[in-house]
Amino acid sequence: MATPKKNPSPAKKATAKKATAKKAPAKKAPARATTKSSNGKRRAVVVAGVRTPFVKAFAELMELDTIALGVAATRALLDKTGIPRDEIEAIIWGGVVLPANTPNLAREIALDLQLPPSVQGYTVTRACASGMQAITNAVAEIERGEADVIIAGGSESTSNATVPLPAKAVRAVAPIAFGKAKGLNDYIGVLAQLMPLNEVLPKMPKIAERTTGEVMGESAERMARRNEISREAQDVFAVRSHHRAAEAVASGRFDDEITPVEGPDGWVHADTIIRASTSVEQLAKLRPAFAKDGTVTAGNASPLTDGASAVLIMSEDKARALGYEPLAAFRSWSYVGVDPADQLLIGPAISMPNALARAGMGLSDIDLIDIHEAFAAQVLSVTKALGSKAFASERLGRSEAVGEIDDAKLNVHGGSIAIGHPFGATGARMVTTMANELHRTGKATALLGICAAGGLAAGAVMERV
Amino acid sequence: MSDILLENQQARKLIKSLGLPLPVPERLRRASGPYEERPLDTATVVVGGQSAGGTLARTLAHDLARAGAEPIVVGVEDDLAPFREAGEAWGRPPRLVEPGEAPESQRARAIVFDATGIASADELRALYDFFHPWIRRLERSGRVVVIGRPPEDAKTHGAAAARAGLEGFARSVAKEIGANGSTCNSVFVEEGAEARLDAVLRFLLSPRSAFVTAQPLHVRKLVKGDDAPIIRPLDGKVALVTGAARGIGAATAELLAAEGAHVVVLDRPADDGPASQVARKIGGSTLLVDITDPDAPEHICRELCERHGGVDVVVHNAGVTRDKTLGRMKPEWWDQAVRINLGAVVDITARMIDQKVLRDGGRIVCLSSVSGIAGNRGQTNYSASKAGLVGYVRSLAPAVAKRGITINAIAPGFIETRLTAAMPIGLREGARRLSALGQGGQPVDVGQAITFLSTPGSVGVTGGVLRVCGGALIGA
Repeated sequence: MATPKKNPSPAKKATAKKATAKKAPAKKAPARATTKSSNGKRRAVVVAGVRTPFVKAFAELMELDTIALGVAATRALLDKTGIPRDEIEAIIWGGVVLPANTPNLAREIALDLQLPPSVQGYTVTRACASGMQAITNAVAEIERGEADVIIAGGSESTSNATVPLPAKAVRAVAPIAFGKAKGLNDYIGVLAQLMPLNEVLPKMPKIAERTTGEVMGESAERMARRNEISREAQDVFAVRSHHRAAEAVASGRFDDEITPVEGPDGWVHADTIIRASTSVEQLAKLRPAFAKDGTVTAGNASPLTDGASAVLIMSEDKARALGYEPLAAFRSWSYVGVDPADQLLIGPAISMPNALARAGMGLSDIDLIDIHEAFAAQVLSVTKALGSKAFASERLGRSEAVGEIDDAKLNVHGGSIAIGHPFGATGARMVTTMANELHRTGKATALLGICAAGGLAAGAVMERV
Repeated sequence: MSDILLENQQARKLIKSLGLPLPVPERLRRASGPYEERPLDTATVVVGGQSAGGTLARTLAHDLARAGAEPIVVGVEDDLAPFREAGEAWGRPPRLVEPGEAPESQRARAIVFDATGIASADELRALYDFFHPWIRRLERSGRVVVIGRPPEDAKTHGAAAARAGLEGFARSVAKEIGANGSTCNSVFVEEGAEARLDAVLRFLLSPRSAFVTAQPLHVRKLVKGDDAPIIRPLDGKVALVTGAARGIGAATAELLAAEGAHVVVLDRPADDGPASQVARKIGGSTLLVDITDPDAPEHICRELCERHGGVDVVVHNAGVTRDKTLGRMKPEWWDQAVRINLGAVVDITARMIDQKVLRDGGRIVCLSSVSGIAGNRGQTNYSASKAGLVGYVRSLAPAVAKRGITINAIAPGFIETRLTAAMPIGLREGARRLSALGQGGQPVDVGQAITFLSTPGSVGVTGGVLRVCGGALIGA
């Protein structure tokens, strides 16, 4: 990615503005760049994006919670872009498993980075579409004229998810911890209550739907069956994800997008989940993870991951005034909901065509497609639905199928299966990679799709600036 | 009085383990909550009839897949095409099973046979061939539906005979599977009314039709209607239920409200207490009127217009019995029963239609009775009124069809209410067991049938009587 050029004149402008701000300290709202872009509307642009390495949960980055990861990604974004800190107006952050006492990650990140106190912030949560939601909120606010410079992104530390103590354990231990246990007998009594041990040990958090109680892998398993996606097709897709991601790593394509992060055992420089050497034969050996005769395995699903990504978004005029070269902008987006009890993760088959329609485009106008890979079965279900005339007529009210997805355009540098999926961070990772891809290759458009828990989904169309 | 064979677990066990020759009725699966998007979610539904010339494959494929069913198609590879297409759209891929044998241990929630191709007595054999391997694979509280064309539309007398044969076949199947809590009904769909099957199948194949069995339903294109919503079908509609303070009326009011209707709970001024209670519970309003008052029609219409701007659903549920053999009956008993059960219904309905208080697309449901149809000792007055209703809906249906209005009668069989709890025990037991399902129905079962006939989706059904009787022996 081209490092943004910093010519001296905007820096001067910034200083000049600082001076005026000092003269009138009561005035808080910064002056907006009011020039409109070519189509007559204010346009928000992606200037740059950075992420931490994506690392398997409970591994190298276990000690860093979601705020610390967010701080690492945002700090790297600040360093990389050299954005004057007083230009930043807000942080909008996405997260899914939020710390109970400090759910507003955005504000904590700003404070931890010692950004000016005026950098306000809020946190959005929309399951796996949270990162995308943070970014489209930033774009919407900028295009409405509410701000010029916003950092948007997301982070997730599955390793630091709160693991509640079973009520039985709490009730058993409470008399000693808070009460008035007297003799040895009382302690023995408590110990006796703690048996059998497996009933009082904290349970690993599960990604289960609240309404249906179904673990997401079971939903994916059902989608595989409902859409007749074979085990082999899933494994082939997963292997391609790994191989493409590995190629991107080898070619240095991700170098600009990833910042090293220091964990307790030293620096982590690169993603740790991508396997260049994996093969369909190897994946075929894995046992189904969610059903006895199932097809979804650890190999063709995205793993629990720790990581964060941050994106700098500005109004186009502001970006140019500050001497940045914008990478991409959003033509449209769409969020939809489907019944979680039916096909939990089929939503992108509706949100992506919606976004295309809002952009006034067809699938043939799209050069790159990036679909979040929660499960290979889910991506393949979505692409099958997009290629189905029956689906289009019954579910989208159209006479023709949305179109066949060209494998050469889909997830060109791999996806969540290979790279990993820190829930809140994935949207910002996809936006960063697509913005850079449009900019590097000179291609014009990219279509994004993300499925999310609760039967939610996002779709978006990006264009090169 | 509670049904000991149904509710007492010890008694059920004892009878079963002693091998007493008493049929222990099956607890019926009933629906809970309002209409759902996919009432047949994950239910295996066996479909056949294409090889017998059935023409409904496309309709059935679409309706079943959208309702969430997982179809098993009995036939040849070519029969799968429409099911594949619908399956792709709704994520319900079909399975093909060759005719003749059901796969080992494969069970079915429902079996649907498209008999629209059957045109002669000999071709009825297709029923045997299709059902023979599958009928014993039906799950408990399973469903069987046989779909044909109306006999009266047949081109030849032979075809009419074959078509009419379907009804008898379905009635007998109902008796055979009733002990498992399963039902079997026949549907006769007019050519051009296929799109109206969807709502009918959703009702007949789901637990909402728990106590409807051995019945024929006619689906016509007579009444005008647009696409109907599947969930909350009564959103924004106003429904009037007479005699809604308790029993079937109260159950119906609750169900209609759950589908989005604002329900006007009508009962006698003396029933102010329970009527208000029902209305409060469902967020409806009360209307206290004695429907035998000469000015009741005017009063009701005025109230509906002024307070609600009209009405969309009218359920004539209020009714009384004044039983006595003819020779001993006092004249006022005759008058009361016939006035309340029939005269008031006719007068109120007529005024509502004349003054357009009942809006276009409206639904009218009249509560008739199986004993009314069949005749019953000591009920000459009651039977006259209840049979009168049957004639009334048949006569009125074509007259209001242009306005999109349907009118039907419901004939409940033995339903567990205040009325039946007061019957002598011998009679009560007999009435319960002499039905295909071997038990009495619940007020909610009748309410579900009324609700179905109150929805926009039931536009194809008009002018008929739907019995909610568990396949009672009498009154066929």
